[in-house]
Amino acid sequence: MRIEAINLDKHFRSVHAVKNLSFTVEPGRVTGFLGPNGSGKSTTMRLMLGLDGGGGETLYDGKKLSIHHPVTRTIGAHLDAKFFHPKRSAYSHLRMLGAEAGISKDRVHEVLKLVGLESVAKKRPGGFSLGMGQRLGLAGAILADPQVLMLDEPANGLDPQSIQWLRDFLKHYASTGKSVLVSSHLLSEMELLADDVVVIARGELIAAETMPTFLSRATGSAVVVRSPQSEKLAEVLSAQGITSTTDGARTIVIPGQTTDRIGEIAFTNRISLSELSPRTASLEQVFLELTESGQEYRLGETS
Amino acid sequence: MISNLVYEWRRLWSVRATWIMTFVYLVITGLLGAGPLFLGEEISNGQTWKGLYSTNANYLCLVMISVVASQFFGHEYRYGTIRLTLTEFPKRERVVLAKTVVLAVYVTIATFLGWAVLGAIGSIAPKGSIGTDGPGISINGGEPSELWQVLVFGFAYCLIAMSLTMITRNLALGIVLPLLTFSVIEGLIKLFSSLANGKMDWIVNALPFTNGSAWLTNVPESPNAGLIFAAWVVGTYLIGSAMFFKRDA
Repeated sequence: MRIEAINLDKHFRSVHAVKNLSFTVEPGRVTGFLGPNGSGKSTTMRLMLGLDGGGGETLYDGKKLSIHHPVTRTIGAHLDAKFFHPKRSAYSHLRMLGAEAGISKDRVHEVLKLVGLESVAKKRPGGFSLGMGQRLGLAGAILADPQVLMLDEPANGLDPQSIQWLRDFLKHYASTGKSVLVSSHLLSEMELLADDVVVIARGELIAAETMPTFLSRATGSAVVVRSPQSEKLAEVLSAQGITSTTDGARTIVIPGQTTDRIGEIAFTNRISLSELSPRTASLEQVFLELTESGQEYRLGETS
Repeated sequence: MISNLVYEWRRLWSVRATWIMTFVYLVITGLLGAGPLFLGEEISNGQTWKGLYSTNANYLCLVMISVVASQFFGHEYRYGTIRLTLTEFPKRERVVLAKTVVLAVYVTIATFLGWAVLGAIGSIAPKGSIGTDGPGISINGGEPSELWQVLVFGFAYCLIAMSLTMITRNLALGIVLPLLTFSVIEGLIKLFSSLANGKMDWIVNALPFTNGSAWLTNVPESPNAGLIFAAWVVGTYLIGSAMFFKRDA
């Protein structure tokens, strides 16, 4: 299911939290939703779900969410790890959430088993850890096997094994043609998970594109070449207007180029290479570059 | 709409507080009903079944089920589950309607259970303590109410509690505000009014629970009491609903 967020806009009194934001979430892909603290990610998700009033609209396969029936087979949302009554058992919580789509008791048990909460199904979630709360929230979101999953920071509080499980689960979920929109502060995790990214800062759209395209924006992207003829290669490149820097005796770094292009130049000039590899910037690097000016709550300098 | 009702029904009965408050409501109803029957001949003299069955319209009973009524929205806001509810049911008018219907069903069940308790107490009361002559004794003052009045008043009281929770988004305020108004504030206003030589009578005549009680106990001097009370109930409900529709979840 394709999601189109169109001109989403939200004011909290004098604060313009979300500014005319438009982007799409494609089916069959995991879309990472990134932004600094206070950038408006959660508000945007609430706007998309119709929980908050504001400008713009969100269409799910061209229709408003309220037109879809049952809604829980269209979208499953997990917005907070603590959205449950602390005295209502995990099982009862899911039974309640399953009312709209007529979810059976067997399916509730199946989902509890899937998220690893079967042994505490009858326990009150008031005593759950943050990670267990996340699992219960995720269980509620996937209960009716919806076409769209919308998850706000689902990896917070999860241990490494659970994070890996979540990554595999979401990738598999998207691979069945469903749409996944997931916000996270764990950029290294998001780099492994997301196919597309939507980046916002101060409520404004910074980027909405595929992950490789986004990573290629970084000023740090370069080609690393190791060659016994590194000096000759540097001269050839320089003659073609390509700048390079030496990084050790036989290694040169060529920023802003592709391995294809450098390999072709080396081949044409009969220069032997022992290594030719891309040096891509990390998601964190690109993210920091693009959102630095848009950080709402700036940190102080560390000494 | 059926799924909305199922959701609300499961939400209502899946927390222990509902069971506890219903149980406490029945205990208090029983104790208040038993009081006039068992405390002595002078008091019990003149009690009727009708009088006994009007016991659970007393505010000490109603405050217990008003806790459950406030939880309809109070728990949702306190624990953030309102966002789950509204994600599942984006049409907010249906959410309000479902909660109202389930509240009505809950109050009906609680009231009938209260009558069952009162019936059991009446059946074990000392011989002759429940007569058939006269109107009987109403613990709420005035004449004993008809059964349907007890049911309607109980629902109206709970609806006010639920509506105030919608407005304030605060479980405690939804419980305390009707109770304080009923038991303290309106009494104080009437006291001030009596000191003001009738200059505040128009306020007294418009008080919600004073009119509600007058209607419940069939006070002949207040022919419009039922209408005034109904206006308060409907007004509070409409304001609460409008705020629920408009505000961010």
